[in-house]
Amino acid sequence: MSAKTILYVEDNELNRKIVRDLLRRTSYRLLEAPDGEAGIAIAREHHPDLILMDIQLPKISGIDAMRALREAPATADTPIIAITSFALSEDHQKAMDAGASAYLAKPYSPRELLSMIRELVPEG
Amino acid sequence: MYAKLLVAFLIIVLLLIIVGAAGLQVLSGVNRRGNELVKLQHKIAAYRQLQHDTTSQLYAVSSALVVPEERTLEATLRQLNQFGYDLDRLEFVARDEVELLGQVRDDYEKFIGVVTHVVKLIRGGKVTEGRELQLTQAGPLADRLERVTNQLVNRAEADMVASIEVGEGAYRTSRWIVIGFAVASIGLALLLGYVISWSLIDPVQRMDARLREIAAGDFSRRVAVVNRDELGALAANLNRMNDELGRVYRELQAASRLKSEFLANVSHELRTPMNAILGFNELIIDGIYGEVPPEVKVPLVDIHNSGQHLLRLINNVLDLSKIEAGRMELALENYLVRDTVERVRASLSSLAAQKGIDLVSAVGADLPVAMGDAGRITQCLMNLVGNALKFTREGRVEIAADLRGDALHYRVTDTGIGIAEDQLETVFGAFRQGDATITREFGGTGLGLSITKKFVEMHGGRIWVESELGKGSTFSFTIPLRVELAKPA
Repeated sequence: MSAKTILYVEDNELNRKIVRDLLRRTSYRLLEAPDGEAGIAIAREHHPDLILMDIQLPKISGIDAMRALREAPATADTPIIAITSFALSEDHQKAMDAGASAYLAKPYSPRELLSMIRELVPEG
Repeated sequence: MYAKLLVAFLIIVLLLIIVGAAGLQVLSGVNRRGNELVKLQHKIAAYRQLQHDTTSQLYAVSSALVVPEERTLEATLRQLNQFGYDLDRLEFVARDEVELLGQVRDDYEKFIGVVTHVVKLIRGGKVTEGRELQLTQAGPLADRLERVTNQLVNRAEADMVASIEVGEGAYRTSRWIVIGFAVASIGLALLLGYVISWSLIDPVQRMDARLREIAAGDFSRRVAVVNRDELGALAANLNRMNDELGRVYRELQAASRLKSEFLANVSHELRTPMNAILGFNELIIDGIYGEVPPEVKVPLVDIHNSGQHLLRLINNVLDLSKIEAGRMELALENYLVRDTVERVRASLSSLAAQKGIDLVSAVGADLPVAMGDAGRITQCLMNLVGNALKFTREGRVEIAADLRGDALHYRVTDTGIGIAEDQLETVFGAFRQGDATITREFGGTGLGLSITKKFVEMHGGRIWVESELGKGSTFSFTIPLRVELAKPA
């Protein structure tokens, strides 16, 4: 079975690097997008098995990007973990309403993120 | 307003005086006519007496002629004196009847002369001559006197009837005048009262309605009061206050919106580097970048604990700002109590381990799925456990949760320094710790407990503390198992 693909849409390079390093010793393949627009484009092209979506993104917000992905048949059922800001609890609800499968509050523990990923998409 | 009220009262007083004066006038008229009637009655009585005297005199003289005795003659002369006396009285009570009275007096003088002469003749034994004189002179004189006095009586009686009629007419007129004045006064007083009270009540009602709207946050309208008195000035001030409040309110709303946006941005900006610091630190600890020597792990755990602590402080400061701006809302979702307690224990276990404190949890078995804001409940437990670890030098800290009826009971028990009894009430206030010296030894902002209390109350629960100095504290709070709707902060 081929390796599972994960797309991480996040504008901060250091945060992307955390996930990159976290997944280094796993079999997951990581795709990265720095904003919502690029995230949608990459998702449509590569059909990842899981998407990690930051909510506060430049160009297109994470919420709008999730809605766009849910409308397209190819990505309508792809699991999405929304990464929200803890200070804005209403973000949780917005994220779930926009089609997120789960959410994680920032700052998150990489350990916790990895167990959440494994739960949604078991390693191949 | 003062002048208006004064004028109204003066007008009413004036009306009362006019009604009183009219009444007095009528009363004095009635009194005067009463006096006149009494005088007329006296007159009539005197006239009748005179008539009676004339008749008695004639009778006395006639008797003297029939029985010519000295005793009868004396009586006749006495009668004459009585006649004179009554005539004098008549002149006193009927001074206005000069002509007729003069006639009466003349006739009386003549009558006295004749009667005196007759008496003389009788005494002298000339009875026949006396009778002759009596028939020819005294008789006609007496007749004339009687006629004249009858005339006087009739006239007086006519006067009396006329006077009574005039009196009745005057009484009727006066009555209508008094009634008219009274009715007009009452009507005018009522009208004045209505006008004055309405000119007071209407503006007051309008201002009251406007004040209610202002209190409800509507600054869009102004109150219209045309009065040029104190109420007008009050309304003008009310409008000024309304405009000023509206301006300040709009500025506050704008400032509050800016503050919220600013806080959201600050929150995001702070979280991004915090995420990197804590994330990389955890990756290092977990050996992602290679084996970590044990002596390096200790400071790495310090970084982790300090980072978590900083995060709690940031969360508390941001939350307090949101609560104060009234923008805090609960995000309700299904959650498992065990997961919540476990997350708190896991987050703070390294801090506890570092201080040599046992951090244990005891969650009741088979707790059903709960409904609430799991993030806020986690934050509450984090605050309480963070405090417990901070104020405990040795021993243990226990996080417990169980279900009693419809409410979840969370408890955080420590073996720390405890809280003095007189400070148990104040620990939940913002920026408060038990004692100022505690701040110096243990640090902290004192925000955690007041925010925890707020979150618990937003869930419809309550929080309390039991403590003994030197032995430890137990903070307990209840949360309904299924929170129905978010309550505004």
